[in-house]
Amino acid sequence: MVTLTIDGREITVAEGTNLVEAAAAAGVEVPTYCYHPGLTVVGQCRICFVEVEGMPRLVTACSTPVQPEMVVLTASKRVREARAAVMEFLLENHPLDCPVCDQAGECGLQDYSVEHGLDSTHMVDERRTNPGRERHLIGPHVVQNQNRCIHCTRCIRFTTEISETADLTMKSRGNHSYIDTFDGRPFDNPWSACAADVCPVGALTVNEFRFRARVWHLEETRTICPGCSIGCNVSLGHLNGVVHRFVPRENAEVNGWWMCDYGRFLAEPLNDRTIDVPLERFGDGERRISWDSALAEVARWLREAPKPLVIASANMSNEALFAVRRNLVEGARMDVIVPVSEGETRRIKNGRGAWFSSNDAHPNSTGARHLGLAVADAANLESYLRDGTGPVLVLDAHAHPWLASEGAAAISADRQVAVLARYRTPLVDAASMVMPLASWAETDGTYTSSTGRVQLAHKALQPVGQARRAWEVVFHLALELGIEQERAVTPRILFAEMAAEVGAFSGMTWGRLMAEPGMPVHEEVVGVG
Amino acid sequence: MSDPILLRARGLKNSRSLSTYCRLGGYSALEKALSMTPAEVIEEVKASGIRGRGGAGFPAGVKWGFVPRDTAKPKYMICNADESEPGTFKDRELIVVDPHMVLEGIALASYAIGANTAYIYIRGEFVDEAQILGKAIAEARRKKYLGEDMLGSGYDLDVHIHRGAGAYICGEETALIESIEGKRGLPRLKPPFPAVVGLFGCPTVVNNVETLACVPHILERGGAWFAGIGTERSTGPKLFCVSGHVERPGVYEAPMGITFRKIIEDLCGGMRGGRKLKAFIPGGSSAPVLPADLIDTAADFESVAQAGSMLGSGGLIVMDETVDMVWALENLLAFYAHESCGQCTPCREGSDWAVDIVRRIHRGQGRQGDIETLHRIARFASQGMTICPLGDAFCGPISSFLEHFGHEFEEAISKASSMTAKALPILPVQSDRELFGL
Amino acid sequence: MTEPMTSPLVVASPDEVGDVTFDRSMDAQIRGILKRYPNQDAALLPVLWLCQDRWGWISPGIMAAVGKRLDLAPAFVEGVATFYTMYQRRPPGKYLLQVCTTLSCQLCDTSVLVDHLKQKLDIDFGETSADGLFTLVDVQCLGACGEAPVIQINSDYHTDLTVEKLDALLERLAGQ
Repeated sequence: MVTLTIDGREITVAEGTNLVEAAAAAGVEVPTYCYHPGLTVVGQCRICFVEVEGMPRLVTACSTPVQPEMVVLTASKRVREARAAVMEFLLENHPLDCPVCDQAGECGLQDYSVEHGLDSTHMVDERRTNPGRERHLIGPHVVQNQNRCIHCTRCIRFTTEISETADLTMKSRGNHSYIDTFDGRPFDNPWSACAADVCPVGALTVNEFRFRARVWHLEETRTICPGCSIGCNVSLGHLNGVVHRFVPRENAEVNGWWMCDYGRFLAEPLNDRTIDVPLERFGDGERRISWDSALAEVARWLREAPKPLVIASANMSNEALFAVRRNLVEGARMDVIVPVSEGETRRIKNGRGAWFSSNDAHPNSTGARHLGLAVADAANLESYLRDGTGPVLVLDAHAHPWLASEGAAAISADRQVAVLARYRTPLVDAASMVMPLASWAETDGTYTSSTGRVQLAHKALQPVGQARRAWEVVFHLALELGIEQERAVTPRILFAEMAAEVGAFSGMTWGRLMAEPGMPVHEEVVGVG
Repeated sequence: MSDPILLRARGLKNSRSLSTYCRLGGYSALEKALSMTPAEVIEEVKASGIRGRGGAGFPAGVKWGFVPRDTAKPKYMICNADESEPGTFKDRELIVVDPHMVLEGIALASYAIGANTAYIYIRGEFVDEAQILGKAIAEARRKKYLGEDMLGSGYDLDVHIHRGAGAYICGEETALIESIEGKRGLPRLKPPFPAVVGLFGCPTVVNNVETLACVPHILERGGAWFAGIGTERSTGPKLFCVSGHVERPGVYEAPMGITFRKIIEDLCGGMRGGRKLKAFIPGGSSAPVLPADLIDTAADFESVAQAGSMLGSGGLIVMDETVDMVWALENLLAFYAHESCGQCTPCREGSDWAVDIVRRIHRGQGRQGDIETLHRIARFASQGMTICPLGDAFCGPISSFLEHFGHEFEEAISKASSMTAKALPILPVQSDRELFGL
Repeated sequence: MTEPMTSPLVVASPDEVGDVTFDRSMDAQIRGILKRYPNQDAALLPVLWLCQDRWGWISPGIMAAVGKRLDLAPAFVEGVATFYTMYQRRPPGKYLLQVCTTLSCQLCDTSVLVDHLKQKLDIDFGETSADGLFTLVDVQCLGACGEAPVIQINSDYHTDLTVEKLDALLERLAGQ
C-alpha cells in the first residue's frame, strides 16, 4: 500500500494505482477522456494533467502511478490553465451540435468544459469537417459523426482489447485522422453498441436510441438483463412508461462495463404489449373477463382435475418460483415443470478480463434448480404436454420457444389451457383463458446467474393495463385454491422467507442485495445447476 | 580543422567502395574496439563528449551507458536515417559518400551496448540510399566486418535495413521503434525510455547517422582528440547543411563553434545575388528563427541556445530580404500540421489551428487577437503538454517568428481587407486577463 | 547529381488486386523479410512495400491478404497503410511526380514549377493527367534541400530543377 497526499488529503491506496483512481479515492474527480478503467492507458487526450511537487512539468494522472509521499495538486493554477487550454483545443474543431446530439446530458465535453474550460473561445476559423461521415451508419447499431470525434481511441481499444474483434481503426494522420472499419465494411460484432457507450462524446451513438429522448428526462432503473444466464448488470432508461434504452452497468465480476447487442435490444419489445386484460375463449372469439372470475375459473379446473400440469418459467424471478414451489408444488401437490432451452451462445468479458459464456437462454434456470423445481428440455416439455389429458396452467407463454409453436397450440384443442402472456402467440390464440402477465421490468426480483450469483433487478415500469406479476398471480391463485396464506406478499417478503427456507439463499438479505453487486449462493449448493 | 573527417571521401572516385574505405583507414577502429571491452568503448565515447547530431544533442556515450548490463533480453541498436527535418540533408550525404563509415559506427555502437542486431531505419524516399547501404552491408559481411564472428572476435552483428514510408514523426525515437514494430508511428509515453524498454520491449539505443559516423574516428584517434575539436561542451566536427538564399547551398564540414557568418560568407559564397540576409534558421525548421543581426553567433549547442534557438540538426536555412515572414511561417506550420501523428490533443488541434490563422493573415484576412491566439497556442502545445517534442517543434517557430518579425504580422493584420469584419462580436475571454495581464 | 532515366511504374488495375494471393516468389520474399525480425508484426511495413513495388499501389484486397499472411486484423493493416503517405491507396499514373513544397524548396521558387506543372498537365495535386502518365502530389521536405528545387519521380530524385529542365524531363519520360 502507498500513502500519498492529494490536494492536502492523505490517502492510502494499492501500489500501482494511477493518480486518477487515487484522486477518486480521495474524493477528487480528475477529468478524463481517453482513460477508461477497463482499457489500456494511452495518455493521449492530455486533459488529466495534475501537478506533482518536485516534478518540473505537469504529468498525466492516468499514466502516473502513485509513489510513496507524493504530493499531488489537482487544481493548482498551472493545472487549471493547462486543462482550460486542452479543453479549448478539444472544442476548437468540435461542432456546436448539442441541440441535436444524443450525448447531451452525459457528455464528457459538456461536463468538463463547464467545470474546467474557458467561458468562450479564441477560435474564429472554420472547423475541420469529415464530409460523408456526419450521420454515417457505421454498423447496424452505431451511428458515427466523425466531426464530433475527440480522437480518444477508446472505441478502437474496445474492439482490440475487449471484443477482440479489432474491427475499428484510425485512418490517416494528424487532424485528418478518422475512425473507420476495414474498407468501410459494417461495424458488426456482438458487442458493437458498447463502442458507443465508451465514446465520451456523440461521435458514436446507438442507432436505436437516436433522437428518442433526452437523457436527463429518463429515469434509470438498475436491473439485470434477462437475455441469458450470465446476468449482465444493466440500467433501463425509461420515460412515462416507455422504454428508451438499456445500457450496461458496471460490475467487475460479471460483465465489466459491457453487454452484448442481443441483450441491449431485448428491452425494446417491452413497449409492444398486445395482451393487457384477461380474456376467455368464447365460441370462435374471445371476450374480456375480470381477474377474479378468471382465477376462480382456473382454480376450479385445477381442483377438479386429478393431475393438473403447471408450466413455470426459467425467466421468472426466484421469488416467483419460490411462490410456485410453496403454493403449487408443496401446497397443491401439482406437477410443475420449468422449461429450459439452449439458445445461441452469448459471451461477455468481465472487468477482470475473463470471458463468460452461456448457452442458456434464460436468466434464472439456476434459480429454478436451486429451488428444487423440475427442469425440462424441449423434448420433455413436448411429451409432458402430449401425454397429459388434464388442464394446463402456463405461467408464462414465453417460457420456451416451443411454446410459441403451432405444435404447442395444438394441445389446447381438447383441454383446458390457461396462459399468462404479454403478447400473442398461437398458443395464446388457442388457449381457453388468457391473463396478462407483467414483464420482467415490471417487478422487483432476484435472479441467479449460471455462476451462482444472486442479483437484484429493480422494478422499472408499472404493469401495463391489468397485467399482474407472476408471484402475484400465484398468490391470488393459491387463495382461490384454498391454500392458507400467512400474510400478503411482496417480493421482499418472499425473498426473506426463501432465504430462511432454501439452503442456496441462506444468509442473504434483500437489503444487502440492494447495496452489493450480487451475492454468491451458499457454498453447498454451488454444484447444483 | 583543415582536413575533412566525416566527408574525407567526398569527391574521390569510388568513394563508397569498401576498398576505398579501408585504404583511408576504415574498419581499423572496429578491429581495435573488438579487442577492448564494451565498457571501455563506452568510456572512450563518453570522453569525446559527442552529442547527438539528430537534433536533441544528448551525449551519446551517456545514452549508451543507460543500457542495463545484466539483462537476459537481447539489445538493439538502431541507426536513425529518417532525416525528414526540413533543411536537413547531411545524413543523405554521408550515406551516399561514405556508407561504410556509417556501418562501422553502427558496429561499434552495437558492440558497446551488447547488441547483436541493428536496424537502419531509413526514410522511404531514400530508395537509392537504401540500396547503397544494402550493397555496403553485403560487402562488409563478405570481409567479416559484419555478420558472424566478426574479424574472428566471436562477436556477431546482423544489420538490417527497415524503410520508412513517409512520416517525419518516425524520426522521433519511440515513434521510430513503433514503426519498426509494424504500427502507426505514434510516439510512446516516457518513461520508460528506450534504453530500458525499447524495440520489442528490449533495451534499445537510437542514434543519428552523423553521430554514428563520428564513432570510428573517436575510437581510432581517441576521445580526447575528438574533444579537442569544436568547443568545450560541443565537441567534434559537424556537418552543416545550408539551403535557401546562399550562392552555394550544400553540406559543409566544420568544427563546432564556427560562426554562422563564416558558414554563409566563406563556405557558401555569401548571399545569393548579393542580397541582404534577413533571417536564418540554424538547425532545421524546428529551431527558432534568428534575425540577421545574430549572424555572428557560434554554431554550437550552447551559443545557439543562448541566442534563443537550437543547433538541432545543423540544417541552416537562409532567408534574404525578399522573404515574407508570414508566408514562411505558414509554410513551416503546414509542414507540422501535415506531419502531426494526431495522438495528442494540443498538437493535433493546435498545429492545424495555427496554420489556419497564419494562412488567413497571409491572405489578408487577419484579425485583432490573432497574434495573441498564436501565442496562446504556442504556450499550450509545448513544454510537456504534448507526448513528444513535435509540439515544441511547431511552437518554437511560432514564438520566434512573432518575436523577431512580429511587425510583419501586425502590418498584415492592420492592412487586412476591409471586407473582414474586424469588429466581430468576439466575446472577451475572461481568463485572458490573467494570462496576458490585460 | 546526374539525371537518372526514371522507369515508369507498373501499376495493377483494381480488378487485378481485388482478391489477392501471394505467389511462390512473393511468399519466398515475405519469408526472407520475416527472418529479419523476432516478431512477425514487424514485417508489416516491408511487406507493404513489397506489395507496392509489385502492384504499384495498396488495394483493400492487398491489405486483406497481408493481414491474413501476417495474422493481423485487416482494419489494423489499413490503419497502418493510411498513416504513411508513401503507400498509394489509389492506382497512380506511370510517373508519380512528388513535388517538395517545404520551405527550402519554396525559397528556391518551386512554386513557379508547381504552377507550371498544374497548368501544363491540367491537373491539381492529387490528380492524374488525362493520358494516365503523370500523377502530381505535393510532399514534404525530401532531404535534398541543397539541390532545391527537388521533385521525386517514382524512386528517383530530380534536383536543381528549372522550368526548362522540367519540361525536357517530362518530354523524355513521356517518350519512354
